Amino acid sequence: MNSTSPTSWPGDIGPVFLTEEQIQQAVDRLGAQISQDYAGKDLVMVGILKGVLFFMADLLRAITIPVTVDFLAIARYGPSEQTRGVVHLTKDLTEPLDGRHVLFVEDIIDTGLTTHFIMRTLRLRQPASLEACVLLNRNRRRIIDVDLAYVGFEIPDIYVVGYGLDFKEQYRNLRYIVKFEPDETAR
Amino acid sequence: MAKSASPRPGVAFVHPSEAEFARILDFYQIAWEYEPRTFELRWDGQGNVVEAFTPDFYLPEQDLYIELTTMEQRLITKKHRKLRRLRELYPNVNIKLLNRSDFKQMILKYGLDDDTSLIGQPQEQSA
Repeated sequence: MNSTSPTSWPGDIGPVFLTEEQIQQAVDRLGAQISQDYAGKDLVMVGILKGVLFFMADLLRAITIPVTVDFLAIARYGPSEQTRGVVHLTKDLTEPLDGRHVLFVEDIIDTGLTTHFIMRTLRLRQPASLEACVLLNRNRRRIIDVDLAYVGFEIPDIYVVGYGLDFKEQYRNLRYIVKFEPDETAR
Repeated sequence: MAKSASPRPGVAFVHPSEAEFARILDFYQIAWEYEPRTFELRWDGQGNVVEAFTPDFYLPEQDLYIELTTMEQRLITKKHRKLRRLRELYPNVNIKLLNRSDFKQMILKYGLDDDTSLIGQPQEQSA
């Protein structure tokens, strides 16, 4: 067991849902497919902070063609009045996108609300093409349909953390993905 | 309580979860209407409507109706039956049901899980 094994963490987290090996296999598959599809093209991969960090890092290293990477961040909806209002970028891209082939990379797509906003924002910058790549697709609660060119895993109706995915900013540094079941008694 | 106040003047939501859902849609700049249409589902021998269904939200840009319920799973049989009937009678209408589990996952995601008013009390069956 390494230092990020489930036994080191509070009781909220359940069994391992996706192991490091399973994740790496999916990342390798996606990387090979993206390398083939974008060969000879000016590819810019855009990630949204912070959840995508680990997936983006691994996916980039699985890609065998020249690629540029950039990140953006958006305000997150939350419980306080300060975190309500309207979604907006809190960190913009530094790379221009016009005429380039853009691949938006996300850790998980659930309702599609965030992805819809980001794709709409990126499309306004007139890329030559715009596609989306997601590690985890949980479409049970999809509100806004989103076309996904690359999907790592289809997952069922469970809450997961690890490998960048958080619950209240915790658990991102797990090497794998686990089912998360909040401890109701701790509230 | 400011938190449960309607996010849109003039719109009175039946349940706090609906107001929160409207705020989430507003946050992501998704246009919505609240209970804009009632679908007639059954009629008596005289043609009077004896059963109808009014979905909570309509998203015009997606042409999508959304029914949001925080009822326990075991209590939503009637709602499922109404949805099936609606889909039979109005096959071109797109409608999605977000149930208690779905909404619970959403409030977990947005860190709203400490607000028990959103989901703590199962919603009375309606619509």
